[in-house]
Amino acid sequence: MARMKFLCDAERCIECNGCVTACKNEHEVPWGVNRRRVVTLDDGVPGEKSISVACMHCTDAPCAAVCPVDCFYTTDDGVVLHDKDLCIGCGYCFYACPFGAPQFPQKEAFGVRGKMDKCTFCAGGPEEDNSAAEREKYGRNRIAEGKLPLCAEMCSTKALLAGDGDMVADIYRDRITKRGGRPETWGWETAYKKSDA
Amino acid sequence: MTKSIMKTSRALAVAMVVGIASLSSTGCTERSAVTWHEPGVYKGGDDPLLAKQKDSQQIAALQERLVMGQSDR
Amino acid sequence: MKLIKKRDLTATETASVTSRVLGSMVDRRAFLRRAGLGLGGTAVAATLPMTMIHRAQAAPSAGAGGDVEIRKSVCTHCSVGCGVVAEIQNGVWTGQEPDFDSPFNMGGHCAKGASVREHGHGERRLKYPMKLDGGKWTRVSWQQAIDEIGDQVLDIRKRSGPDSVYWLGSAKFSNEQAYLFRKFAALWGTNNVDHQARICHSTTVAGVANTWGYGAMTNSYNDMHNCKAMFFIGSNAAEAHPVAMQHILRGKENGAKMIVVDPRFTRTAAHADQYVRIRPGTDVPLIWGMLWHIFENGWEDTRYIKQRVYGMDEIRTEVAKWTPDVVENVCGVPEEDVKLAAQTMAENRPGTIVWCMGGTQHTIGNNNTRAYCALQLALGNIGVSGGGANIFRGHDNVQGATDLGVLSHTLPGYYGLAEGSWKHWARVWDLDYDWVAGRFDSGYVDTAADVEEGQAPVPFADPMNSAGIPVSRWIDGVLEDSRLIDQRDQLKAMFFWGHAPNSQTRGPEMKTALETLELVVVIDPYPTHTAVLPDRKEGMYLLPAATQFETYGSVTASNRSLQWRDKLIDPLFESLPDHTIMYKLASKLGFANELTKHIKVENDEPLVEDVLREINRGMWTIGYTGQSPERLKLHMANKHTFNVTTLKAEGGPCDGDYYGLPWPSWGTPEMKHPGTPVLYDTSKSVAEGGLNFRARFGVEHNGVNLLAEDSYSKGAEIKDGYPEFTADMLKQLGWWDDLTAEEKQAAEGKNWKTDLSGGIQRVAIKHGCAPFGNAKARCVVWTFPDPVPVHREPLYTSRRDLVDKYPTYEDVKSHYRLPTRYESIQAKDYSVDYPLIHTSGRLVEYEGGGEESRSNPWLAELQQEMFAEINPADANDASIRDGQWIWLEGPEGGRIKIKAMVTRRVARGVVFTPFHFGGWFEGKDLLDKYPEGAAPYVRGEACNTAFTYGYDSVTQMQETKASLCKIIAA
Ligand code: SF4
Ligand code: SF4
Ligand code: SF4
Repeated sequence: MARMKFLCDAERCIECNGCVTACKNEHEVPWGVNRRRVVTLDDGVPGEKSISVACMHCTDAPCAAVCPVDCFYTTDDGVVLHDKDLCIGCGYCFYACPFGAPQFPQKEAFGVRGKMDKCTFCAGGPEEDNSAAEREKYGRNRIAEGKLPLCAEMCSTKALLAGDGDMVADIYRDRITKRGGRPETWGWETAYKKSDA
Repeated sequence: MTKSIMKTSRALAVAMVVGIASLSSTGCTERSAVTWHEPGVYKGGDDPLLAKQKDSQQIAALQERLVMGQSDR
Repeated sequence: MKLIKKRDLTATETASVTSRVLGSMVDRRAFLRRAGLGLGGTAVAATLPMTMIHRAQAAPSAGAGGDVEIRKSVCTHCSVGCGVVAEIQNGVWTGQEPDFDSPFNMGGHCAKGASVREHGHGERRLKYPMKLDGGKWTRVSWQQAIDEIGDQVLDIRKRSGPDSVYWLGSAKFSNEQAYLFRKFAALWGTNNVDHQARICHSTTVAGVANTWGYGAMTNSYNDMHNCKAMFFIGSNAAEAHPVAMQHILRGKENGAKMIVVDPRFTRTAAHADQYVRIRPGTDVPLIWGMLWHIFENGWEDTRYIKQRVYGMDEIRTEVAKWTPDVVENVCGVPEEDVKLAAQTMAENRPGTIVWCMGGTQHTIGNNNTRAYCALQLALGNIGVSGGGANIFRGHDNVQGATDLGVLSHTLPGYYGLAEGSWKHWARVWDLDYDWVAGRFDSGYVDTAADVEEGQAPVPFADPMNSAGIPVSRWIDGVLEDSRLIDQRDQLKAMFFWGHAPNSQTRGPEMKTALETLELVVVIDPYPTHTAVLPDRKEGMYLLPAATQFETYGSVTASNRSLQWRDKLIDPLFESLPDHTIMYKLASKLGFANELTKHIKVENDEPLVEDVLREINRGMWTIGYTGQSPERLKLHMANKHTFNVTTLKAEGGPCDGDYYGLPWPSWGTPEMKHPGTPVLYDTSKSVAEGGLNFRARFGVEHNGVNLLAEDSYSKGAEIKDGYPEFTADMLKQLGWWDDLTAEEKQAAEGKNWKTDLSGGIQRVAIKHGCAPFGNAKARCVVWTFPDPVPVHREPLYTSRRDLVDKYPTYEDVKSHYRLPTRYESIQAKDYSVDYPLIHTSGRLVEYEGGGEESRSNPWLAELQQEMFAEINPADANDASIRDGQWIWLEGPEGGRIKIKAMVTRRVARGVVFTPFHFGGWFEGKDLLDKYPEGAAPYVRGEACNTAFTYGYDSVTQMQETKASLCKIIAA
């Protein structure tokens, strides 16, 4: 069974926000909610590096561990999803998540917290695949259509990779070999554990 | 396949049983806001995607697409 | 990299550390996201359900995937030309998929490209024709708008002549629209027509075309996979041409060394092997400094220079003055850095040079571009794969609009303003030359007052054969004393047809000019800064144009490849495609029949394919003749068959063609020339896309041979240099009888540029020769103000100590019809009151004046506020803290209220501002001046409000990369 993973190649990421916008576009994510973000370290000075971050779909998902209503589930290929009908928007998962992935849509600037929203690996939620209900609550379900996350598929430089973890690792390893660098699979050990990464 | 995933999927199976049981016993269509906490036990609705993901054709399609779209051709 | 160190932490430990890291990080986005918090909640949230409605409407039955239709277009946001794949359901654009087949982007998009589906929502679009009535925007019908506008310009024409109406076109046009627009201006009878190229790469086109023949990018983005070295100067590809970085980084992974020269440590610089920080405006000294090392060490390619370059010795003489200490004093770059860059370029050949607006937008822009060329020529890097001058163009079709002559100084195909060119085009148009000439002004003022005083008529520059006013100077065309303008009268009416005024400098004067004009017409999908800047009560119209996704046609990417766009959706609201609007207006103005004499028109819409066929019939100079609509469509349908490095089709129906038939694609479409992937590459035959330098400047200069020596393209039967082909030359060579009888008739007395049969080109190529001759590139342009490129300090310079040694030009009485000032401005020292250098540039999320992209919520959310990058030292000197409001003021008094972003990205003494913002003026948000519902989500001060006077000595390019400013806390 394939294990779905994200990998962002910091040597290639140019902080162009293509991934962020692709996600907005695909899922009509409202203003103020960012399922994916690009984080830049050492901005503006030599050594500047950017990484695109979303939910990493962790092996032992810390969000799921702390959820008081147990609304998380993990698919066989390792995608961490949740049921918004159960979610009470308490925000615990946000504090538990190493990547700050869970998002809370706001109706007004300082209004009430809504249900949690996060990256679905473009795999929707627990509704009929690509039904109106699924789209409205979780966005499109590309995986069900035989496609992969749009953020990675549209990455301007192919920095962001998403799919079967072994194959992602292969694509990345080829590149590393070519450029003779050290692999920097940022976030992999946090998300996928040593044995799995 | 690692232990942790298997654990999760087993937990998932349990969760589904619990979900169905609670529905039939109350006869209520609205899902109650379950609050008892059992780490790792999912209490939400079924995702039809889970079945689809077992389909070898689907798996192959996703792998093919990965190579086509994300490697440097 | 900091985060890597956290590898061994447990999940919970990482949680706290990462949140801390993320929380305290002050990168540009985090900074701005915080700043703009309020906006998301109020103004925007209300509009978001709309987008969901569109999708819901389009997908009536849940999960119904059957009726999804795939259509293909090309991104409209930059010259990389990324393929766009759209899913259309019931006429609604419901999904956007990666275009994996496109050899340009292989599915990738930057933020702009990944957001183009929003064009199908168009919530903030200009929805109906509108007119300013008593200070209020009022909806009018198309008919009423066209009639009223037409009556007014016809009246202006009567009073002040055709040159008083200015037709400002656009790089957002398709090729067909661009061509029709230039023809439209010609038939109206004026050269007062221009577009963004003037203020983006005009100095490139002038400098480069005058060096080796054509002014375009020589190679391609894809060809950068083959580079051994890549030298970027004044180009921030990571933000301006993001998907180009896919190719650049592949080149780097293949082993190429990457050097970035820029006053800012850009995102591109972050990926470089060597970053060189220069003082803004010192490109020539840096390049000469590198050449100094190259000559000193004998690294130049002597054989190449001998065979293919004219005038390198004169460069050598100038370069000798730029010893390392002088370079360090002027540019601020130490000797070892300059030498390292030179050595890297010398030891890693072929290497390419990439430049953009950082090099072009200067009073000496044409010197900069020629200096870059000289460097590459010295290294023998031009005409080889992996080398070249990879000049990244800006807008999606700025290359096409330039080629098609939406410029005040050329006709389509760079045919210069001269009788021969007009006659050529009159033949292509099948119009009587005298009728066309009669549309222009007579060339002298013959007023009643003059006659009374018994004076002769006052002559001015020949209106048909002198360059019109450039877009950079239209404000002077309005405000300058009419006796000092080289035409009958001042400008009275302006058409902003796809052009944002906030991309031009001198904001306060622009506001006055917009208020002085009798008539202002905006034709655009959005109202733009034009709609809100002036305080007017009437005399202003806004006409909604469709975007390129709502129509179809061809577009030329930076690498000279043409791609065909499908129409994705019908025009939204009441908008119309630009060519339809042109036809309607031409009908009102009385020359619609001439405009479309051989073009089919249906429902006022000229048939795009017919327009392209007319282009094919006339554009012999640059080989836009082989790209028929049919061939282009075939390429689009078979994108996947093209190799992503060479761009050559391998098998399939396009076998042997280069993707998009990069011009020149010589001869007629039937000749099936494959296009030219690398200009001047002698390793291929001309028939297979090879070339040599163009014989454009004669055969000798001051007794020195200008033709190539012992160098020729593969298979050429003339094994040496040769001049451009004419009918007579064919006869002398004994090749005349290779022409068919029909061709002979058309070719008699003509040359390769004017023979409408294409026979001369065909026969030249049959014998392995380039139709345009085979000459040397020249490093000395004897017709330019500085034949050998030299350094001159910017008009507003803070290095007063260098003004004596490197002074600017003398003032010019008439340049492009206008007095143009140089030394009279430089004479005054502003650097005491305005001590900081002001420079400008791009952000990845926005494009150009930004109206379109700032109206797109997916992009607008990512950059919510106008800001200035300020070095910590300068911020401290001015008691300014990160994130606070400041006033930035230019030496001509224009001032803007913006946020301070304190960063080491800029050097001490340099302030950077992005140029995409608009909708504010001198501290005031102009929100209430937009038509209702058509204001962009994000508005801000236009940096050009504070930018100053200063224009290139050859092209009138505006200076926006080296001015002065001061900053104070607001
Ligand atoms: S996988 Fe899909 S949902 Fe997740 S960040 Fe990427 S585009 Fe958004
Ligand atoms: S699209 Fe790719 S390169 Fe651009 S920010 Fe995202 S991961 Fe980085
Ligand atoms: S803006 Fe340029 S790089 Fe970005 S998607 Fe469009 S064409 Fe590609």
